[in-house]
Amino acid sequence: MDTDRTTIKDSPSRGFWAEAWLRFRQRKMAMMALYYIGFLCLIALLSPAIAGTKPIVCRYKGTLYFPAMGYFNRRWEKPVFQRDRFYRIYPTNLQKNDPNSWAVWPLVYQDPYRRVRDGEWDDRPGNPTGTDGQPSRRNLLGTNQQGFDVFAQMVHGTRIALTVGFVSMGIAATIGVFVGSLAGYLGGWTDVLLSRLIELVMCIPALVLILALIAIIDEVTTWHLMAIIGCTSWTGIARLTRAEFMKLKQLEFVAAAQAMGASHWRIMFRHILRNALAPILVPISFGIAAAILIESGLSFLGFGAPPPNPSWGTLLSSGRATIEQTWWLIVFPGAAIFLTVLAYNLIGEGLQEATDPRLRQAGQ
Amino acid sequence: MLNYLVRRLLIAFVTLLLVTFVIFGLVRNMPGTPLTTDPAMMDPSKQISPEDLRRLEKLYGLDKPWYESYFIWIGNLARFDLGRSIAQNNRPVIGLIGERVGATLTLSATSLVLTYLLSIPLGLWTTVHSGSVRERTLSTVLYMLYSLPSFVAALFLQILLAVKLGWLPLLGMVSDDYASLSGLGKAWDIFCHALMPVACFTYGSLAYYTRFIHSNMQEVIRQDYIRTARAKGVPPRRVIAHHAFRNALIPLVTLIGLTLPALLSGAVILERIFTWPGMGSLFFESISQRDYPVIMGLTLVFSILTLLGQLLADLLYAVVDPRVSYS
Repeated sequence: MDTDRTTIKDSPSRGFWAEAWLRFRQRKMAMMALYYIGFLCLIALLSPAIAGTKPIVCRYKGTLYFPAMGYFNRRWEKPVFQRDRFYRIYPTNLQKNDPNSWAVWPLVYQDPYRRVRDGEWDDRPGNPTGTDGQPSRRNLLGTNQQGFDVFAQMVHGTRIALTVGFVSMGIAATIGVFVGSLAGYLGGWTDVLLSRLIELVMCIPALVLILALIAIIDEVTTWHLMAIIGCTSWTGIARLTRAEFMKLKQLEFVAAAQAMGASHWRIMFRHILRNALAPILVPISFGIAAAILIESGLSFLGFGAPPPNPSWGTLLSSGRATIEQTWWLIVFPGAAIFLTVLAYNLIGEGLQEATDPRLRQAGQ
Repeated sequence: MLNYLVRRLLIAFVTLLLVTFVIFGLVRNMPGTPLTTDPAMMDPSKQISPEDLRRLEKLYGLDKPWYESYFIWIGNLARFDLGRSIAQNNRPVIGLIGERVGATLTLSATSLVLTYLLSIPLGLWTTVHSGSVRERTLSTVLYMLYSLPSFVAALFLQILLAVKLGWLPLLGMVSDDYASLSGLGKAWDIFCHALMPVACFTYGSLAYYTRFIHSNMQEVIRQDYIRTARAKGVPPRRVIAHHAFRNALIPLVTLIGLTLPALLSGAVILERIFTWPGMGSLFFESISQRDYPVIMGLTLVFSILTLLGQLLADLLYAVVDPRVSYS
């Protein structure tokens, strides 16, 4: 360190984001939260390879197939297996229809969408149903009343939890930033009207709005839920963006851009938004936590996508029906929801302290 | 000041009209009507004939388009008539809400008092002991509590205290033999049933308020006048309580206004989990039964409280902080 002080550094000064990242990295809890979210992303990406009943890779009648991709999108599972009447049970049917076939199986042979029956895999007994599905060697986290494996549901539910957070906050951030920047930059009547709109949406009880929108849809899927959550939770971001834009549009660089003849559009989204991005990211991070909460809460109340969808909230709600016997249906998904919400809150707080110049000066 | 108040009230009134208009349109356009979602109607033998259905629709005014019904509803509202419930035997909406207010207030008022009683000493304590191991532990625990979703906490508490240990009743507000209990027994019974819901209502806001007070105090105790007070020999306890906390109160007061709607709206999920007969449960039931008058009555109450809360927060701000004025 001492030698550092005597030599003159000629390294270029760090940019805003590099500086923020350096500060963020110093916060142990925030970094742990970031690692945890990364870990969840990994689980979500690899979910068909961790738990499933479809082979990751298999060679069947001379062709290579990837049936496990069917967990991401049903259409990615080749129709040949349906034509050959597999009925979603691969191990025995592969052997029966093509003795030369081989397959690479997921780590755990359990399915989030159905019960594994007797003798599907090496004469293994089927999953217990009712309230008998305690955690065991075969069902690591137990099974629900229909005999679906909880571990498989949790692993595949990670995908739902993560996409819900990102997609619905993506929608909310787009609407919020757009409305907020228009109101803040243009001011005048636009501002009055848009501010009233924001206030109006804030005053409508969120639950009525969400439930009414859900009721209008015939067949609710998780994607619908994401769109609805996104369309109802943009107000906070819009207000913050408006305040930031009102502050930033007074600065010299905006006047300079105007003098150079830049269009309003360019000034708003190339010049101002870049500088306003850091404070806007903070409510977005908290918003992801809130979106996950809303989704699991709605699924818990029975307004989510109909089962069998492996959302953590759905698991909780099935556990609540038999709460006196099936603790494992509540403890594991509950802990997963808690940890994920905690992680996003920690990341949000870390971002806040890493990017807020006032806190930065106080720290030094 | 009066000018400001009148302007704010006018804006609030317009917002209220818009909110009720939007909600009215939304709920009236939800598929199903209170007449078709009644479980008794699912039974084919009890299904009413199309003529009867049309007659009932006319009786409840469901045959008119929703915007027309909205103006009728507003007209009745001007005469302080919230209408009658369709799904619950024609009972007046005000009566239905009045029945549930007590149950919700039992939870929310208790939890509000507890929150303030606990969070202020905790917030001051964390300020004084800032940086110590004990303070870091407490702050971490509070932060985790703040992130713990209340419905997850409610289910965990139910499993631990009601199912595994059997100390507290699992559900409801009163036991089955409530009517036969003595006066003191009745109070004890409700107390036992309310413990878990109150805990779930309280812990989140307790964590939030404590952190809020802590961060405000952190800002205040760095001010020059605190150093001055210390330098002139004011005892540390008095510096914290008298000089610092009084100034940290300003943002805290505005929070009071914002908690006003939560006092009556209850929490739908928590009341569902504990089958607590409060406003949240009523709201949930009325939405699933498409009981339009009740939904609108509740929406009106919640929206008025939200708007009043915002106004109160701004006014209180001017009362506590003499630098702020609205004239």
